[in-house]
Parts: sequence; structure tokens; C-alpha cells
Amino acid sequence: MTTASTPAIPTPHLSSPPALGPERAVAWPRRTVRTLSNGMQVVLAETHTFPKISAQLFFRSGNAAVAHRAPGLAEMTATVVRTGTVSRPSRRIEEDLRRMGADLGSHAGADTTAISASGLAEFSEGLLELVADLARNASFPAEEFERERRQKIESLRVERTTPGFLAGERLRRVLFGEHPYAIIAPTEEQVAAFKREQLEDFYRHHYSPANALLIIVGDFAADQMLAQAEKTFGNWKAPEPEVPPSPAPPHHSGRRVHLVHLPGSVQTQVLLGNLAITRRDPDWYRLVLANSIYGGAFHSRLVINIREQKGYTYSPRSSVNALRQYGYFSVHAAVRNEVAAATLTEMFYEMDRMRALPVTPEELDSARSYLSGVFSLGTATQDGLLGQLSTMYLDRLPDDYLETYREKIRALTADDVLAAARRHFDSANEQIVLVGDRAQIADQAALFGQVNEYDATGKSI
Amino acid sequence: MNLQPKKLHIPVEHTTLANGLRVVASPDRSAPFVTVGVYYQIGFRLEPRGRSGFAHLFEHMMFQGSENAGKMEHIRLINSSGGLLNGTTNYDITNYFEAVPSNALERVLWLEADRMRALKVDEENLRNQRDVVKEEVRVNVMNQPYGGFPWLDLPPVAFRNWPNAHNFYGDFSDLDAATLDDVRNFYHTYYSPNNAVLLMLGDLDPAEAFVLANRYFDDIPRGPAPPRADVSEPPQTEKRRGEVPEPFGTLPALAIGYTAPPRETPDWYALTVLDRVLHGGRAGRIYRQLVLEKQIAVETDGNFEAFDTNGPTQMVTRVFHRPEYSADATIAAFDEVINELREKGIAAEELEPVKVKFRSDYYSMLEGGMGSYMPRFGLMHYLACFTLFDGDPKRINTILDGFQAVTPAQVQAAAQKYLIPHNRAIVVRKPIAKGAAR
Repeated sequence: MTTASTPAIPTPHLSSPPALGPERAVAWPRRTVRTLSNGMQVVLAETHTFPKISAQLFFRSGNAAVAHRAPGLAEMTATVVRTGTVSRPSRRIEEDLRRMGADLGSHAGADTTAISASGLAEFSEGLLELVADLARNASFPAEEFERERRQKIESLRVERTTPGFLAGERLRRVLFGEHPYAIIAPTEEQVAAFKREQLEDFYRHHYSPANALLIIVGDFAADQMLAQAEKTFGNWKAPEPEVPPSPAPPHHSGRRVHLVHLPGSVQTQVLLGNLAITRRDPDWYRLVLANSIYGGAFHSRLVINIREQKGYTYSPRSSVNALRQYGYFSVHAAVRNEVAAATLTEMFYEMDRMRALPVTPEELDSARSYLSGVFSLGTATQDGLLGQLSTMYLDRLPDDYLETYREKIRALTADDVLAAARRHFDSANEQIVLVGDRAQIADQAALFGQVNEYDATGKSI
Repeated sequence: MNLQPKKLHIPVEHTTLANGLRVVASPDRSAPFVTVGVYYQIGFRLEPRGRSGFAHLFEHMMFQGSENAGKMEHIRLINSSGGLLNGTTNYDITNYFEAVPSNALERVLWLEADRMRALKVDEENLRNQRDVVKEEVRVNVMNQPYGGFPWLDLPPVAFRNWPNAHNFYGDFSDLDAATLDDVRNFYHTYYSPNNAVLLMLGDLDPAEAFVLANRYFDDIPRGPAPPRADVSEPPQTEKRRGEVPEPFGTLPALAIGYTAPPRETPDWYALTVLDRVLHGGRAGRIYRQLVLEKQIAVETDGNFEAFDTNGPTQMVTRVFHRPEYSADATIAAFDEVINELREKGIAAEELEPVKVKFRSDYYSMLEGGMGSYMPRFGLMHYLACFTLFDGDPKRINTILDGFQAVTPAQVQAAAQKYLIPHNRAIVVRKPIAKGAAR
């Protein structure tokens, strides 16, 4: 057993916390950003602490790109992509992954599709080849398609018994109306109607190098990895897809309550929100800071109020959600049924307070430090760094986004927070979603505006 | 790019303070952050009888204030230093951890020492956190499809000794019965320096970190050795099966748990590898057979929490199956997978990739783990377990060898010895018919 020297320093324990020493500068990861000969964008960042790599191949088309034709088609396509290529049947793909110590995912969100792979650095070449094989040569085997489609229907049934999912689904419907962001998941009937040819069509049009962004982080030498990327993807040619324009989301005037009836609920899922801004908006940093003080962190006003003082809930939070075309602000908490109205009252109270009065210097300072520190902590793991880089390059943020984020946050004032709260915490027009047993909460819901009721499938009741 | 496998070496130094607090440091100066954890060797297995859920409720109380850092101060000081914090309650350990810019290391140590030395809580805090914990149970268990499945369902069916078999999240009546005296007793019994390990990882110099540890923790008095509870299980001689109604979810589900051998025994290594043969994603035998080939199941997963438990533990499989198949038909299909392994064993060509994946997963866990929002969470977690359970944090660099050495014959032998009907428990989650929910 190793015993290090532990000199006895007889100091009585301090009654106040030690001051922070000088901060060591964060060395932001160097990025290698290149465009391959076929127009595909590649971003590489080396990190050598663990012998692994993590890669994501993005396509800038997701479910929103085809929502007018077939909601959920991008996700269904991504699901079936991993089940076979021209040269690899499903079982071979899974065994190849295991042989390389790798995990793989393929999913689509509203704006993007991503094939994600991570594995041991010693198998980088094979892993990249597998990702390319899925992106270029997927074969959509009929049997795999049928099985995945049936599984998707079963998992949708379960999702529509999950309060958090139901609340999110309803809020997006209300906030986005006819815009494709309104739909976060298809219906069972829509999935049942998917045809294999539709998936192939989406794949052919949207999985294209001109539409792609490849990000790789991990234990490699960037020049070698770049050469590997060119070798694996460089000869891939396909045109850029066209995405139709989308109708604008509706304007909401006045609070409305949208109650999703979930029989037998022993809790109420509260979720409210309003349209806000994207990451490219000049107000973004101000709103992030205002959100952090309102309800975005453990030490925020809302958490202290309804968790630490009143004990209504375990996990209240507010968040700013940025999609490519629009963003929205939202607040959520799962609370016992008796305090659904009381919870909303406190959510609005704290929101209105943020809009009426400047935050204190202590709150401002604390929140700025919190956001600065957590931002840099977020680059300290491969997956964290990959997430930061994907935000930066998918949203086409400035090249110095990582290096300047903290100074931009630290430069903000109490007036900035007040202005952001007034502009983007739209208290008077919040759309309120409650998921719960209507017999328990309908009376409380009615205190906050006109109530529309739905069942779990989305039908008005 | 033909690359050779790299052997990872994690630098680890450790010492013990005069009061019995074990201290482990693992430097990595590549980024200016530190991850700090304090692990106490007490989990929900050893909470007092009549006080189910108490270990977890107590964990909440550790955030309610100590002598020099009042309620919310702990959280405010970490957040305003640019850091994150949390705590979790497990079978045999409870942990408190922070990830902060490295200039906040001393501040974190001061806070952790303050609550190890003098927790300061009152009736109002207890009432408040009891309410919070009830909402935690509602949101995670009572109001979720498959809530608590199977981690709360299996123990009462699988085990006979109360520490292993009770409701770890807590019956509400037991939570209501908890008093401030219970909080104080629990604290004085288990939250002493000699029942804990302090871990400091990342941007630090171990010798300096040990000096700081000594400065902040040295004057906390050693406590009496915590009582050693008997957590042993009587031998199982019969089949065990239970049923739990599923109020929300639409798919029938079942969980099958096989009781594992004690940690660090040869059989434990073999069963840990065997777990990855059966589970381990879509290439695992159970998913392949039940979901991809026979298509009886919609989803399967499973795991054996080998590293962070130190008492009776099960390797558990979860199966969500199509309603047109009965539970018994599904179990029969599962048993075919098990019997094939027991009878025919496994070829080296199948086992070798499993071990490669095992190594890869181990590195991923060390780097992040638990959602990877906290750098080196897994490294901290494993160092703590190797220190508290095995007395040697340096096992972090050698334990992989034990798994890599497991042979096909050992995997088959473990299957034959442990994957038997009288060593398992089954719980069936049966959906309540639609519209019949309470």
C-alpha cells in the first residue's frame, strides 16, 4: 500500500468557505475543420485521455423536412438504416460493432438525422467504414422493416402512457400549429401506413454528402483521421436535398389550458411554454442567463420555491429550447395532484418577478459563474465535447463560439436579464399543459383560462 | 491507420488519515477541472427495519445544511463556483459528488468536511424533504409506465433476508414515521470518517491534495465502527415467482434475476462476462433470439451490477413481449437461450469480441458514466468501490485482466452452476386492461 506524506497541520476548521483561487485557463480543443472533395463538411477534435473515439455523421434533414407528407418518416428511416447494407446483413452489423468494441445509434430529430458511433480508437478505420456503409449502402431489408415498424408501434403505445412525453407532445402541438415542429411523434396509424419505398426515398434524397456534417472526437491524430475521412467518404456524390418552406407557427393571445386526461394518474405533469428564439438570436445569451436564474439550475428561484420551500415536487426546471427555425421557453414540474394550481401560481409569480424587478447582484454573479463553469465542464468528456461541437456547427454559430461563450455570459448585466425576461417569458400568453386525471385537476385547471381536454391519443374529449 | 490496442494506466495514489478516512487521488492535468466524491459505506440494504427508504431520505438531508453552510448554501456555493453536484443512494454505498473548475477544490473539501463533521437539520427540513422524496417516488415509480421495474419488484421475490428484500425507495408510512432522532442516529452510526472514502480526481497534484484533505478532514473525530449486519441469504430451494400489476404500460413485461456469486471470486468474473454474452446490446444472445429472430419480444435488456454492490445481487434480464405471447411462452423462449449456453457452451470466436466490448465499455464508464455530464464520474465510482469493498483502489488498473482471462469453459461452467431454476426469481408485470386503470 502506498502511503503519501500527510503532514499534520493543526488548523481549526474554518467557519466560512475558502475563497476561490485563480482560475486556470481552459484550453479549448483545437478543431480541424475541412471540406472533403465532395463538399462534405468534417470537424475533428483530438482528446487523448481515454483510447476511444466518438463520431457523429449528421444530415441536416430530420422529421420536419417531410412532416407534411409523413410524420416520423425520418426517424423510421434512421431506425431501419442500421438493419442492413448491400454487403452486411443485420447480424453482421451488430457483430462487427461488438468486434470493434463499439456502440451505434441512428436517430432523427426535428432538424437532423444522425448516425452516431463510438468505440475503441484502435478500430477507428473499421468504425468509420461501417458508418459510411450505413450512410451510403443501406438496403432496407423487407423483414427488418416490418419488424422495426411493429416495434415502433409498440413503443409509441408505451410512450403515450408516459406523462412527460404526453405533455411535451401537446405543448409542441399548441405552440407550433401547422408548422412541422408541432409533431414530435407519428400516430400508430401513420406508422402502420409507412412503406419501405418511402424510407428509401427519404434516404436517397437526404443522406447526401452536401447535406452532411461529420464530427469525430477522441484519441487520434487529426491529419491521419482527415485522410481516412477523405478515403471513406470523398468519392461519395449526391445532390443537396430540397426542403419545402414551412408555415409560420400561430400567435397566441391569452393563457390557455390544455388538459391531457391520463386516468389513474397519482401526479400532475405541469408544462407551460411560449415561443422564444433560436441560438442565432442576439438575445440568446441574455435569455440563457435569465432562464438559469428563474428555473434552469438547482440553485434557481423556482427550484428553491416549489421544491426546497414548499415540497410540491422533486424535479422542477425551466429550459430554453432551440430548434433550427424557432425556439421556445418552457417550465415543467411533476407535482401531487392537490397542488397543481398552487404550482402554476408560483411558476407565474416567479416569472412575473423576473419581469418586474432586476435580479440581485449575488444572483447575477452566481448564475454567470455557474453557466461559465458548466459550459467548460461540458467539453471534458468525448460525448460532451461532441455535443458542444454539434451545436456549434449544426447551428452555424461563429468560429469562436467555444472561446467566447464564457466572456459573453460574464459581460451580461441585471438589465440584460430583465430585458430578456420581459421579452421572452411571455407570462400573459403562456400555453399551459396539464397531464393527469381530470377528475382530480379539472377544477384547478379552469382557474388559469379556457380549458381544452384531450385523451392520450390527442383526440379532443 | 492500423493501430495497436493501448493499455490504459490510471495514476492512483492513496492514503488514510489518522481518523480513518481513506483518501484517493488520481491526477490528470489535461483540463482544469476536478471531480470530488465522498462515499459512505451505507446504502439502502442496511437502513433500519420499519424505516424503508430511510437511507435515501437521509441522502436528501445531507443537502439541508451543516454547521457552517446552511440550507441551500452547499448547492449555491458549488453552482456559483461553476460546478455541478449530486448524490445517490445505492445498495451498499451512498455518494456525494461535485465536478468543479480546479480552483474550487478547497471549497468543495470544506463543504464536504462540514457536513461530515456537523450536519444541522431541523423538523421543517425533514418535513420538506419527506414531501420531495414522495414526489420523487411518484414521478419515478407510481406515475410512470414500468416505474421501478424491476429494481423494486425483484428483491421481495428473490430474497428472504429483510436487508435484501424490502422496498428500497420506501413505503410512504415508513417515510412518515421517520423522525429527527432517526436522522441523528443514522448520521452518527454510519457517517463517520472511518466509514468513508474521499476521492479527488483531475487537475491536482496528489501530494498537495492529501495536504488539503488533511487540513479539512483531520479534526473530524473517528466514530465507533458501524455494526456489521448479516445480509446473507438462506439457500434457495424452490422456484420463486411474483406478479405486479402494470397500471399504465401496454406491453406485458417480465424480469428474470439469477443470484450471482460474491464479488472477486473466480465465478464472479465468469458470470460478469457471461452477462455480456447474454445481454450487451443487439449482438447479445437474448436480444438476438427473442427480438430479432423469434420476434416474441419487442425489447430486451439486462445487466449485472457487478462492481458497485457488496452483497446478494442478481444478474437481471428484462423482456417486454408482444401481448399475443403468454408470460410462460416467453419464459420458455428465454430458457432455450439459457439451455443452449449451458449445454453447448460458447465458441472462442464469440467470446473474444465480447471481451473487446467489455474493455471498451469499461473505458467509457471511467471517462464519463452516468450520462457523462460529469467528467470521470465512473472512475470516481469504481475507485470508491474498490477502496471500500476490496481495500485497494489500484484494482482500477488490474481488474480488466481478470475478465480478459475468462475462458469459454469457465463461461459454460458458470452458466451450468448459476443459471438454474432454483437460483432465480421471476417477476411478471401485467398491464391492467385499458380503461380499467384506477
